[in-house]
Order: sequence, then structure tokens, then C-alpha cells
Amino acid sequence: MELILVLLSLVGFIGYIILNYATKEPSPPQRDMLLAVYGFILIIMVVVGLFIQWPIEFSWQDVSAFYAIYGFSACIFLIYAAKVLRILLPRDEDYYEKKGGRVE
Amino acid sequence: MTEWMHPGLILIIGALFVPLFKGRWKQAYLILPPVAALIDVVLMYTGIFGDIPFSAWRLPFLGYELVFGRVDKLSFLFGLIFSLATVPLIIYSLHVKSSSEHMSQLVYAGCALGVVFAGDLITLYFFWEIMSIASMLVIWHGGTEKAHSAGLRYIIWHIAGGITLLAGIVMYIANTGSIAFDAIGWGSGSALLPSLLIFIGFILNAGVPPLHAWLPDAYPEATVTGSVFLSIFTTKSAVYVLARGFAGFGPLVWLGAIMTVYPIFYAVLENDLRKVLSYSLINQVGFMLCGIGIGTALSLNGAVSHAFAHIIYKGLLFMSIGSVLYRTGTAKATDLGGLYKTMPLTCAFCLVGAVSISAFPMFSGFVTKSMVIQASVIGEMALIYVLLQLASAGVFHHAGIKVPFFAFFGHDSGLRPKDPQLNMILGMGIMAFFCIFIGLYPQPLYQILPYPVNFDPFTASHVVEVLQLLLLASFAFFLLITSGLYPPEQKKINLDTDWPLRIAALKFRWFIEGPLVGFATWMNDHVTRIAADLSAYGEEREERVFIGASVMLALLFLAMYLIVELFYRWIFS
Repeated sequence: MELILVLLSLVGFIGYIILNYATKEPSPPQRDMLLAVYGFILIIMVVVGLFIQWPIEFSWQDVSAFYAIYGFSACIFLIYAAKVLRILLPRDEDYYEKKGGRVE
Repeated sequence: MTEWMHPGLILIIGALFVPLFKGRWKQAYLILPPVAALIDVVLMYTGIFGDIPFSAWRLPFLGYELVFGRVDKLSFLFGLIFSLATVPLIIYSLHVKSSSEHMSQLVYAGCALGVVFAGDLITLYFFWEIMSIASMLVIWHGGTEKAHSAGLRYIIWHIAGGITLLAGIVMYIANTGSIAFDAIGWGSGSALLPSLLIFIGFILNAGVPPLHAWLPDAYPEATVTGSVFLSIFTTKSAVYVLARGFAGFGPLVWLGAIMTVYPIFYAVLENDLRKVLSYSLINQVGFMLCGIGIGTALSLNGAVSHAFAHIIYKGLLFMSIGSVLYRTGTAKATDLGGLYKTMPLTCAFCLVGAVSISAFPMFSGFVTKSMVIQASVIGEMALIYVLLQLASAGVFHHAGIKVPFFAFFGHDSGLRPKDPQLNMILGMGIMAFFCIFIGLYPQPLYQILPYPVNFDPFTASHVVEVLQLLLLASFAFFLLITSGLYPPEQKKINLDTDWPLRIAALKFRWFIEGPLVGFATWMNDHVTRIAADLSAYGEEREERVFIGASVMLALLFLAMYLIVELFYRWIFS
């Protein structure tokens, strides 16, 4: 059991490295192949989740692949929330200097 | 072992002799004080470690007895990680020529150890304040105009926090008659205000929003090595004092949860990668505060062990981005990318730090953060649990993916810097080793935690839970970045909670430089002439200015006297 978990973690780690490498610009020549491997790893994670005895602490954990859905939507939410905040918060890099009248 | 030597004092005294050495000798000498302090702390463990707090180094002061060395499980753990981290940190900064920078860094680390081993509130306050000043000096060594003003803003925040803390401590001592620093808790009646003031003083140093703005403002302005030191001591010593003084204090749960979520948005927006790391530092301290607030044995173990792991991986991340800054001269996401080819080691270390902070299974964050999250499950705090998991996905997005991706992969910047020199690689290597070691073998860490650990992070459901959460979050990132929906990095800064204060300060400076100086000049021009005519002196211009100023001062005092006098009569008539 422990060995399977270690292997699974390693596979996840490799997926993480692959993602970093495959999405760089200019794209690496093996991009499509790498992304296919990455997609396969994602599928493994979700499928493994279906065979696991989850401790049901909160009712929503009953949903299969709850954490996969949650992680995905949380990340999308964060990026879109940041897009909204991007309208409000950013200023030029010398904003405070200009306000202080130090930059002509 | 009956003799006890204060490890903080080893660092502080060691710092005094740094300027006596030059070149290779200095590099050899610099390693001595941190190693001696580490050995000192480790020997404490074998010699006198027990259930009964060991107290040493008592000193009479104003009728009280100061305790400089209180060693129990909690202070030992923080003392160990502070002294353990100082060794790779000083190795990482061996190439720096400036003796004063090394001195301020060592004194800073020494004072943090002073805070940790302080057994009473007066000693605590003493080290707390010197730590603020030493850390300001660390920031000032950044050497730029920006670093200078950021350091000033930093010290203003910390003086405000320090005075609040001092007021709280004085009232607390007056109330209880004791200076001992133990659980302070939430008083009622006349004990409420001192607890509140001490609490505010503590959470300001921990960087709880909205009192956090000093952190992302100042930390990225320090030198490459300075910001690594800064990322470790101030916030984690605040975590220590909160764990001792306010364990199980309800509002900390919510403050901590908000603290984990709030900075994520900024970290996503921010362009300067050292600022991204500063915001993710606040987010990680949020997990610790949440654990302290929940207050069960499991959550407190989680909080302090997370502090332990955090110091290592956050230091590692600051080191790797610092190496990029050191080699390329910039840490801005817009200017970086594609460095993995020429900086492979730094890239590898950064990835280790990134997966550790994201709590990837088999890396250090995983075995510690899950205790806090598990404690929120056991405490049936559904909303807190959801927020912490959101923050976990967020950490992975900004510190786990964004930082390594934009620096080492992403869009090729055309920069071809080399890996930094041996000492920096060595410093990062030691940190990376501990990240992986704690992740694979958490037992040694679990054994020195304040409470007995009955927790196994490597259960099937837990490993799969984290892997699903993280990998699917990375999938979201991938979808958005390949489809071009991911917002591109901008060369901008972002307004934070210090915005009204900074604008008010700028207006105040305008008032001083504009109307007030104008008035003073007018006074000088007119009153000085009268005064000079009246006086027998005043041949030279400097004398006239001097006399003018004196006259003005006298007039000012007279006017003030008049106002006070009139006010007094008006009230009492």
C-alpha cells in the first residue's frame, strides 16, 4: 500500500514537472506527447480516487472526485477574481513617487 | 548539564567580531557563530530537555527577576529551527563583502532567538524591539532609495506595534503583578485591554491583514541574502509568541483563515516574484495562526511543525529567486523566463521549494499542513476547512506554479545566466535536503513537537486528496495559459491596505515642504530683518538666520503659552 502511494506521489510530481516544461515558449518539440502523458496522469489521479474509501467528514465529500473538482474550480475562480481585481488595484510602478511629487 | 549559554548571545557577540576579519578568514569565521549556536541548542536537547521548563540566566531588574533562558518543548523547537536555518543562510551569504550586512543579519537572528527563549515579558520586549531595528538595518542594506524608504515605513509599522505591545505589557504587569510570559488569553473587565494590546502587537509582527502591508513592501527591497533572513525570523517569532500566549484563542481561527486567502489574490496579480513570495509567506503564516486558534493538541502540533517546515522551504524559495536576481539583476516575472537551461541547479531547488510549499506528498509541507487542516475537520469547522483548501489550491497556483514557471520556464526571455557560485548552491542544497528529508521521514520532527503525535499523513485518502486537488489546479492553470485567457503579467504595483496611510503621509510631507516651509521662510525674511536691526549683531547672514530662528522659537513658545493659558482660563472660569 505504502509503495503504491509513493509511486502515485512520484507520478504526480512528474506530472507537475512535465506541465512546467511542456507549456513553456517556444514550445518543446515533444509538446503534444508530453501533454498526453500529463493528461493520462490526471486521469489516473481521478480514477484512483474512485477506488478509495474516503472518510466522510462533511457531506460533500460523498461526491466522487470532490477534490479534483474543487481544486480545478478554485484555481479558475482565483484567476478570474484576480482579473477583476486587476481593474482596481494596479498602478504604475512609480505611483507613490509621483504622488509624493518626487518624479517630474 | 548545569551551565546554560544563550544561543542568541552567541550570534550577537559573534557578530561583533566580524569586521576584524577579511577575505577568506572572514568567510571561515562567519560560519562559526551559527554552528556554535546550533550545537548549543542541540545540546540543550540532550542535557536538560524535560517536561519541567528549565530556566536559567536570571537577572534582577527593577525588583523583578528577568528570565533569559526558558527552555521547554515549544521554545526548544523554535530555537532549533532558528539556529538550524541560520547555518545554510550564512553559507548562502558568504560571498557578500559588507561586514555590516553580516552583522545586522546575525544580530537579527540572535534577537529572534532571544525572543524565543525569553521567559518574561520585559526580556521579550527587549529582544522584540532590537529585532525590529536589526531587521530594518537588513532592509537598508538593499542600498537603493526604495530600500531606504521601505525600511523607514517598515520601522514606523514596527514602532507602532512595539508601542502597542509595550502599553499592553505595562498594563498587564500592573494588573497581574507578574512579568512571567505564559498563556495570556483573553481577559475580561480591566484585563481585556492589556490582552488586546499585546495581541495586536503580536499579530502585527505576524503580518495579519490589514496590518501586513509592511511585509510585501519591505522584504523585496532588501538584498538577495537579506530578504532570505527577513523571510524567517520576524513572522515566525510572532507565531511562537502567539502559540505561547494565545493558544486556543477563537478569533485567531478566523484571522488565520482570512490570512490564508487574502494574500492569494495579490500573489496572483503581483509581477515582482519576491513580492509573490512575500504574499505567500503571509498566506502560510495564516495556516499556523489558524492552527494556534483551534487550540487542540493536533492543531498546535500542526501550527508549530508547519512553522518549522515553512522556514526551510520559504527560505529555499527566497534563495532560488534571490539567485536569479543575483545573476540577472531582476526578479520581475515580465523580464524572466526560460532560465532552466542555464540555471539547472537553481531551477531544481526552486521546484523542490515550490512543491514543498504546495504540500505535495513526500515533501515537507505535506506532513505539517495536513495536521492543521485535519484539526479543522475534527473541530467540524466546515467553512474554515473550505477556506484552507481554497488557500492550498491557491498556494499551489502562485508559489507552486507561478514562481518557477515564470522564472525558469514560461516565455523565453533570452537571458542566459549561469548558476550562482558554490556557497549559494550549497546553502540552497542544505535547505532542499531538509525539505525532502522532513517530507519522507517526518518522525524526527514529530518527536520534538510540544504534544505527542498520533497522526499519519500518508493515508491513501489523504495522499489522493492532495494529489487531486493540486494536479487539477495545475490543469486549470494549463488550460488558461495555453488558451491565452491567463492574464499576462504587467509591470505594475498593486495597492494594498497601507495605501491610505501612505497617501496621508505624502500629503503631510507636502504640507511640511509647502505651506509650513513657506511660512518659515517668510518669518525668516521679515522677522529676521527686524531682529537683526534691533540687535547689535547680525553682520553675517548665518548669525541673522540664527537670531531669526531663536526669535521665532521664542515667539512660538510665547504663542503656545498664550494658547494654553487662555484655554486653561476658559475651562476653569
